[in-house]
Amino acid sequence: MTNALAMTKKIRRAAIVGGLGLCVQLGAAFHWTPATFIISAVVGVPLVLAGGGLFIAAAWRNMKEKGAV
Amino acid sequence: MLPPQVIIALAAGVAIVGLLLFGAGALAGQTVGRLVLLVGLVALPLLVSAANISYGVHQSSTTAFCLSCHEMQRQGMSLFVDNKQALAAVHYQNRLVDRDVACYSCHKDYAMFGDVKAKLNGLRHVWAHYVAGVPKKIALYQPYPNSNCLHCHDDGRPFVEAEAHRPVLGALYAGSTSCLSCHQIAHDMVKVDADQFWQAR
Repeated sequence: MTNALAMTKKIRRAAIVGGLGLCVQLGAAFHWTPATFIISAVVGVPLVLAGGGLFIAAAWRNMKEKGAV
Repeated sequence: MLPPQVIIALAAGVAIVGLLLFGAGALAGQTVGRLVLLVGLVALPLLVSAANISYGVHQSSTTAFCLSCHEMQRQGMSLFVDNKQALAAVHYQNRLVDRDVACYSCHKDYAMFGDVKAKLNGLRHVWAHYVAGVPKKIALYQPYPNSNCLHCHDDGRPFVEAEAHRPVLGALYAGSTSCLSCHQIAHDMVKVDADQFWQAR
């Protein structure tokens, strides 16, 4: 149970980071200038990548703990 | 503002990630749920981000984007000057370049990494705009290469058959004589300052 809760927490963390990245890109899309384009690419995209990475890392660790890999 | 379809895609991405944030507990316990999480938290945001950046890179080549910095607005006005010798005006007014990407058509190199170089130069422009300061006189980073002109004019009949070109064709192709040594006015800023513009009827 504790393991499942920890996993959920990690997934939520990944969702928050990835969602934040999308929010940055969405904000930039509303006010499109050279500066916001760069913010979108330099801040938004890495946050989305980090969110995806956090999710995959959490899933991989979970599968290893369960002996699935 | 970017077009509605990009904004809708991003907003949908945010909404889906938001829903998954609240449903993570329930979804993580099922195989299908874990797949939904994988798609919703990894594949979808990456896809939407890739589409957004791809659109952004495309958009950053437009004339409107270049002229959105006030430092470039006089250069933009030079597209409209009444001077049949000024290269920017001639190319724009005669539709020799696509008007939507007029700056990019002439100011990007057509070599293998020309696009990348142009985008990196764009980053330098942004750095200059916000941090380093804009130089008093706006100038090219390097001498204008003939290859950019020849990309379009190379085997064009008006170029090849022009009397003035014949004695220097070899030198033009070799790059030892610059096209700009004769075509000296690229952007006619004098006429911009004098408010002498051409207007299509």
